[in-house]
Amino acid sequence: MTTATQRPSRWRRCLALLMLMPVVALAGTATASGKPLRIGVTLHPYYSFVANIVGDRAQVIALIPPEANPHNYQPQPDDITRAMNLDVLVVNGIGHDEWAFQIVKAAGRTATLPIIQANASVALIPIAGDQSGVKVVNPHTFVSTTAAIQQVFEIARRLGELDPDNAATYRHNALAYAARIRELRARFMTRFAALDLSAFRCATTHAGYDYLMQEFGLFVSAVIEPRHGVAPTARQLANTIEAIKRANVRVLFAEKNFSLDLAKPIEAATGVKVFALSHITGNAYSADEFEVAMAENLETLAQAIEFTQPARSTP
Amino acid sequence: MASLSDAITVVRPRSGRWESLALLLATLAVIAGVAGYVALRPQKAGPPIPLSWQVRSFDGLGAVDQAIHSALLPAGEEIIWFNNDTGGWITLEHAQKLLLPPFYRDGFWKTHGEVQWQLILPGTHQAHGLSGDAHAPADPSANQVSQATQGQGATVYYGAGGRATGQSAYLLVIGHAHAGVMWANQATIWVHPDPNAPYPGIVKPESLVGDGWRQVIPYDGTSEVERVKGTQP
Repeated sequence: MTTATQRPSRWRRCLALLMLMPVVALAGTATASGKPLRIGVTLHPYYSFVANIVGDRAQVIALIPPEANPHNYQPQPDDITRAMNLDVLVVNGIGHDEWAFQIVKAAGRTATLPIIQANASVALIPIAGDQSGVKVVNPHTFVSTTAAIQQVFEIARRLGELDPDNAATYRHNALAYAARIRELRARFMTRFAALDLSAFRCATTHAGYDYLMQEFGLFVSAVIEPRHGVAPTARQLANTIEAIKRANVRVLFAEKNFSLDLAKPIEAATGVKVFALSHITGNAYSADEFEVAMAENLETLAQAIEFTQPARSTP
Repeated sequence: MASLSDAITVVRPRSGRWESLALLLATLAVIAGVAGYVALRPQKAGPPIPLSWQVRSFDGLGAVDQAIHSALLPAGEEIIWFNNDTGGWITLEHAQKLLLPPFYRDGFWKTHGEVQWQLILPGTHQAHGLSGDAHAPADPSANQVSQATQGQGATVYYGAGGRATGQSAYLLVIGHAHAGVMWANQATIWVHPDPNAPYPGIVKPESLVGDGWRQVIPYDGTSEVERVKGTQP
């Protein structure tokens, strides 16, 4: 009798243990323990993208301080501490945030921290202008609307894989965010529709705006920096000025948050008018930063195009 | 009086010039070593090399085609998500409401050739109508229908009639798992050098290639990371 009552009890315990095994196995991950994912981001646009995708279902953590310039950033001890406590990190991965991999390595997370390459499925384009005949990948996919939407979709898809319980929400939010970005773009497209874009030629100090120009069918004739973040030599600058004159360029786009040192001498030598576009860096991290900065960029672009329109003759 | 030649004593190296020979051999060895390294050094992964029927988006397309291809990629993703959620497809009318490029008739559409798009739904293809793929056999051994209609379960967005200089015609082909296609639920993009190329009717890859269509290979972030850092785990 005693044996008979003990057997079902032992079976029940074994059964309960078997049922608990998956829970025990998943106990280490943030989502399985009921905690929201802690998602690290490297650049300002990715903060906006991820914040809009996850809403209140996860925590977004910027890996570096908001005022830092990603082009020449040197990792700090606080960055390493932050990296130690992340569940996943979203990176550009093709030229703006190489320092992130140093931080992850220093935090001892190389093997344990999932990395989402936001550009994994974005069709990259070369830097416009003369790059000595070499086609160099342009990493500024986040200064755009179409490539930005593609990155939002990629991030949402990968986050859904890591956090299946919230996958549907992430996808729904990503689609809603993409719709908002397209509405923003459509507002300016309507304004551009009345303008003649065929003769528009521009130069840029920094090769940051090719994806944006591509969306509007605009053509960049020359890029002042010979390589990303590299100042031109006197000879290269002279060649660029010559190219600007040859191509009848009337507009030069400089970088809003960086020095205008490069733009001023070119303005003086060629008579181009300088407009400043945002690289979407240097402000406080926020969910709406990308939309605000892109609206400003599109407004600047519209003003530049309007500047190049032939003057209407007055009756 | 002794001659000048008598006064000159030639001193021969004791080693018999072997140092010169050794130096020559060492130089040759260094040159051979450097040449061997240059010839045999491990190559970094480059951009994917297109086959004869493919074209790379990065450096094989003109500016207009490149922009339309860039717009088709996220559009394809959104169309697939829409289909997963609703079972339906984003019609061209719906695309206008969604402001979805490259179908939405805005400034982008205007500056990129005013391409005329058509949506060809599964079951309306020439061969697809005969396949009865809605009842595709579950038994793999009896999968002849899937084989014969491979690609014909696809939904296709066909764009032609573009007016921009050097522009192509376009196909966004979205495979469908039920028809047994190899790229189920994924989008592939094809271009034809004739902007007025007729709709191919059969969207199997071999038929498209035969009709002069070329598949566009995107050079994406994954490819770039592999090029720079090698294959990622």
